[in-house]
Amino acid sequence: MRQYLLRRAFFALGTLIGVSLIIFVVLRILPGDPLVAILGMEGYAKLSPVDRAHMMKDLGFADSLPVQYVRWLKDIASGQLGKSFFRGDTVADLILRRGPITAEIGILAVIISWLVGLPVGILSAIRPNGWADGVARSLAVLFIAIPGFWLGLLIVLALLFWFGYKAPIVIVQLWENPWQNFQIIVGPALILGLAQGAYISRMSRSCLLEVIREDYVRTARAKGAVERKVVLHHALPNALLPVITISGVLLGFVLGGSVAVEQAFGVPGLGRALVTAVVERDIIVVQNLVLLYALIFVAVNVLVDLSYAWLDPRIRY
Amino acid sequence: MADHIQGPIRGISRRHFLRAVGVAGTAVGLGGTLGRGRALAQAQEVKADASVKRGGTLRYGVHNAPAHFDVHQSGTVANIGPQSPMYDTLLRRDPRDGQTIIPDLAWKWEVAPDGKKYTFHLRKGVKFHDGADFTAEDVKATFDRIARPPKGVVIPRTPLFATLGEIVVVDPHKIEFRMTEARPQAFMLGAFASGWNVIVRKKTLEENQGNLRQVMNYPGTGPYRHASRKDKEVWIQERNPNYWNKGLPYLDKLEIYHMPPFSPELGASFLSGKLDYARLLDPVSWRKAKEMPGVTAAAFNQSVIQAFWMNQKKKPFQDVRVRRAIHLAMDRPTLVEVVKDTAPMQIGGFVYPFHDASTPRSELEKRLGYQKDVKPAVQEARKLMQEAGYAQGIKGLDFVVREANTFKLWAVAIQAMLKEHLNIECNLRVVQISQWFDEAAAGNFDLAISAIVSTLMDPSDYFTAWYGKDGPQNYAGWTNEQFHSLVRQIDRELDENKRKPLIRQAELILEQDPPCIPVAYEQIYDAWYNRVRGQNPSKYFGIYDVVRWDQVSLAQG
Repeated sequence: MRQYLLRRAFFALGTLIGVSLIIFVVLRILPGDPLVAILGMEGYAKLSPVDRAHMMKDLGFADSLPVQYVRWLKDIASGQLGKSFFRGDTVADLILRRGPITAEIGILAVIISWLVGLPVGILSAIRPNGWADGVARSLAVLFIAIPGFWLGLLIVLALLFWFGYKAPIVIVQLWENPWQNFQIIVGPALILGLAQGAYISRMSRSCLLEVIREDYVRTARAKGAVERKVVLHHALPNALLPVITISGVLLGFVLGGSVAVEQAFGVPGLGRALVTAVVERDIIVVQNLVLLYALIFVAVNVLVDLSYAWLDPRIRY
Repeated sequence: MADHIQGPIRGISRRHFLRAVGVAGTAVGLGGTLGRGRALAQAQEVKADASVKRGGTLRYGVHNAPAHFDVHQSGTVANIGPQSPMYDTLLRRDPRDGQTIIPDLAWKWEVAPDGKKYTFHLRKGVKFHDGADFTAEDVKATFDRIARPPKGVVIPRTPLFATLGEIVVVDPHKIEFRMTEARPQAFMLGAFASGWNVIVRKKTLEENQGNLRQVMNYPGTGPYRHASRKDKEVWIQERNPNYWNKGLPYLDKLEIYHMPPFSPELGASFLSGKLDYARLLDPVSWRKAKEMPGVTAAAFNQSVIQAFWMNQKKKPFQDVRVRRAIHLAMDRPTLVEVVKDTAPMQIGGFVYPFHDASTPRSELEKRLGYQKDVKPAVQEARKLMQEAGYAQGIKGLDFVVREANTFKLWAVAIQAMLKEHLNIECNLRVVQISQWFDEAAAGNFDLAISAIVSTLMDPSDYFTAWYGKDGPQNYAGWTNEQFHSLVRQIDRELDENKRKPLIRQAELILEQDPPCIPVAYEQIYDAWYNRVRGQNPSKYFGIYDVVRWDQVSLAQG
């Protein structure tokens, strides 16, 4: 087990270094100038080449790429992750303030996806090709197909025009006011959760359909076990492994999807901070947030792998 | 107390009356260099009204968070929106009409008869938020910096003070600005009253090597002072209890929310009642707000021209006939219509269409290129193209489009108009704003669409920047000696009556030899709940001058 963990940690580190190199290089070769965002159109238009060079040096962009990369690694090691070169706030501050909101959205979305996806999948599997299965499968395809940000905008507009309602416009943390915090996160979490729930329902349906045809399930039925017990106690645990695997991947989609959905709902989370940073060409913020997302994705996948051994005693590392 | 509670129009205290008489007398003594209107403007101040309800928190939504904190170095409402309430200027625009220049930290001013010296008398007893006294040294440090920025500092308003020679501190409360060359008074006073030119402490500038980009809370003398700030969310300011203008501000607190302009988020926040006042609303939300009971919605002119440039380093555009043909081929009423749900626009030429020196709208609408019926203009345009040797049109033009909804919509419409009217084919290339400037500066375009702003409505501000030889926003690289020489004349002409025909003459040159193609002029949509009193921007020019909120109150505190 220890050896497996070390091997996974080694690969995870390699992945993260690869991601950091890619994002570092890509951000520096993309066209565009952060000074436009810093100075505005007017200021930038009046910038002399000497002033421009001076300001780029102040921002640290006059150094060679290896020097800039090493400086970034030092910033990561310090825990501050560098400073946004706009207002001078550290990226760590940004993550500490906005991270909890995005984390809550992600966790709630995963919970919703399981709460919705699993029962629907089970229902579809135990009555395959029935009307309930048809409705469930249609809804699943619908939620997979509808773009989350579009649905989010519709919900925002519907709530506004029918009920005059809009969620709080600034961050309210869970520990400050749970109800207001819930109002901020529930919309994005619902949209993301339903979309992921659609995947989970399809995956759990197909896995369960496969498992309930197994001999040991037939044996359980032959022994007189009630259908609910057969499905929930015998079939479901063995059908869950692929569903858990896909949940790890889906969390990555939730994080990715949160960028657009937070924007649609106007939720001041990390996804929205990433969009703003991209628009502002705030390279320091973008590279750190992308790396953070990569780190979460890698960590979740490692955890998913480790959970196999816990869920299925036959699996040993 | 009596002198603190007079309304500027309804009543005037003995002290203010004497001051007004003194100022008027000074103006007369100056041999008529100050007109009657300006003398009155000197006597007209923003004063507290005892009948106005005090207290309360105004929730104001305006633009994204600023990229930095240096107001002088900025060119965007992202700074002036949230930061202005913390600062004062030497002079200011009267919030009641948005136009008249009235005293601020300078309670009186004089202009030498030859227009080469401006003397300002500063208020006594004014304190910065950190408790320091405000003196003429702070004014000198501020304007020295604006006129001659230190290394690494770029200030868009620097050209306004191109003819500023020396700034002399006469005493702690009197300062002289000596010009190397006179400029029209309206222009210079407009420059001093610009909302951008906030007065900052000399010590603050010295301590930060003249660069305040990353100094969030540098002290001002304004009606509100910093309380707290959440990056990209909200900036909270509280009433300055030591504000020199006694009785102001009326509000206890300002909550300034950073929201993207023209965004559904801003619209939704306002319509749901989470904001009291919203600036830069999208047209759909604004129209909805207009229908709501208890809400006022206003539209006003913005200091921006939307245009596209033709690269004059490229062959077809070196021919004035091709440029004029493209100018005539634009169906401007349709261009305004195309973006009506994205941003409010109005038709205009090369001079702000609402400036009193520009061609009146009724006359402009009869001119080729601005008519509702585009046939005569297109006919003339085709004739010009034929004369220039492009009767068959032009193919493969690179049209660089700045990434924004309005520009993308316009680019498609312009592409169609050029194809239909002149058989000019272009390929659209949408790029981010920062890349747009790179491409424009490097001349990597045939056509390029964007927007540019000015500080003042006065053509002396933007004629040089937009159309001047080597002007920073003359992206086309256009030159016309006749025009440039006329601009020099306009800049130096101090008599407004003689200046106006010169501006009209310059406008006609631009019509015949277009340096760029004006697409439209932007308007701003604001809306507020009627509980907000004392602010109506309907007559304002731009969103950069009257943004201090000292005269604003809430009916339900």
